[in-house]
Amino acid sequence: MSVTSATGTMRIVRPRRVVRRDEAKWTWLLIGVVAAILLVWEAAVSWLHLVPEAFLPPPTAVAASFAQLMVDPAFWQAFAYSLTNVVIGLVLAIVVGVVVGLAVGWSAALRFTVAPFLWLLYSTPKVALAPLFILALGLGSASKIALVFLLAVFPIILNTMEGAVTVGGSLVNAGRVYGVNGLALGWKVIFPATLPYSLSGIQRGAALAFTGEVLGEFLGGTGGLGHMLEFAAYQFEMAEAIALVIVMVIIANLTLLLISTLRRRLAPWYDDRKIAGAS
Amino acid sequence: MTTTTEPRVPEASPSAPLISVRDLSVAYDVARTGKRLIAIEGVDLDVHEGEFVTVLGPSGCGKTTFMNVVAGLVKPSTGTVLVDGSPVTGPGPDRAVVFQDYALLPWRTVFDNVKFGLEMQKELRGDGWRDRVQEAIELVGLAGFESSYPRELSGGMQQRVGLARAFVAEPRILLMDEPLGAVDALTREVMRDEIDKLIQKTGKTVLFITHSIEEAILLGDRIVVFKSHPGAIKEVIETGLERPRSERSVQHDPRFLELRDHLWDALQGEATAAAVSK
Repeated sequence: MSVTSATGTMRIVRPRRVVRRDEAKWTWLLIGVVAAILLVWEAAVSWLHLVPEAFLPPPTAVAASFAQLMVDPAFWQAFAYSLTNVVIGLVLAIVVGVVVGLAVGWSAALRFTVAPFLWLLYSTPKVALAPLFILALGLGSASKIALVFLLAVFPIILNTMEGAVTVGGSLVNAGRVYGVNGLALGWKVIFPATLPYSLSGIQRGAALAFTGEVLGEFLGGTGGLGHMLEFAAYQFEMAEAIALVIVMVIIANLTLLLISTLRRRLAPWYDDRKIAGAS
Repeated sequence: MTTTTEPRVPEASPSAPLISVRDLSVAYDVARTGKRLIAIEGVDLDVHEGEFVTVLGPSGCGKTTFMNVVAGLVKPSTGTVLVDGSPVTGPGPDRAVVFQDYALLPWRTVFDNVKFGLEMQKELRGDGWRDRVQEAIELVGLAGFESSYPRELSGGMQQRVGLARAFVAEPRILLMDEPLGAVDALTREVMRDEIDKLIQKTGKTVLFITHSIEEAILLGDRIVVFKSHPGAIKEVIETGLERPRSERSVQHDPRFLELRDHLWDALQGEATAAAVSK
């Protein structure tokens, strides 16, 4: 491709795009490995009786249980309960995390006064605080939302903070040279430049958010998937318990997929740099 | 402004200089050592309207700091910088900067990046700004790439976007901080000649920072040579070469060779001094 410039013609070649050609091949390999594991599992339990079915039900039993769950209104009720708490807690964590992260990352004063406490809280095993939350906020949704928030908010704050600190001085200078100051600088330059960092924090936060919800339900809950799982385990309904774990794995991975898709959409320059090392 | 090919020797005109720097010093407190680091000291310089001044010096001699003060990004510790008679208190629409690392917004297309040059000027009200952005894009030879993103462009093309962003603001003064420093050698030569022609065509006043002797000679009406520790002006030389200049046309010119040898000696002394003091 060539363009005519002010003073002549020069050839300009677009850099190659990242092509993921090999991915299909690996997908098939992965499917093969999973199928093999399931086959060995089925054989060990159902045909060879190496493990008692009561402890480890075979894949076919788990699949049957899974199918049953899918048509069970009680399951969907628990599903809605858990997911609602996770979404509320996560949205709160995203809003607070991004705002606090930007402020602390941008202001040197806040960075030196507030950031040490953030790191301290981040390194605290928050799981240990869970019983306190249940006591303080009761068995209902409030304690679960609080736990989801607490677990999810720190990776978001700290990633956003790191991003805001990393945002190139020359981008900020460019903003100032062209008259973009104060809040406009934050909105037009610092926030978008930090967005990919925030999104990767949100991705980590979302993974922890579900842990927070299930943990809360385990420790003292009245509903939800975690509560249902605990109940199934007490009843020695191992097939149902495993099916519920699979449901959780699926939800967590769909969330991560959603966020990474969002990141590619919103901040393609960041992914490109990570993947292709493009300049 | 002038489109003649005669060397634009800054006339000893009675008109006041466009940029006037007097006794400028910039010093920082270094928190770690508690010492005061003098970046530049006692800089005096006048730049007249339409002049192309190159600032040459080794890395770390404070030439970028000097430019940043003129841009309004760094506050002077002592001394004054006047632009068109008024003291510089911050960035302004009369000055645009081209950055060494391009400083483009990666989430914006070429068109929107160039538009950023007008962002805070009130011209965005009507529709005229679209034509201005388009003109600037065509001026730097990027027509057809309006909707590309910076990551899809080569370094040289990204810097063209940086140039268009500066030109669209229609500043009187262009401040260029080693604009070709991160561009590959071949593109560098092509773009150096293009920048030369663009400036001759538009008649802007330019302060061009570089550490390349050839670039300083080929582009400048005058060359300001910086020394380090502390950063200060070592000497100011009139190039007095005819325009248009290209590496080919001047490489046997005795004046060019003389300048190059002279600057080479001056810089070599500086570079050695800098290496020893570290």
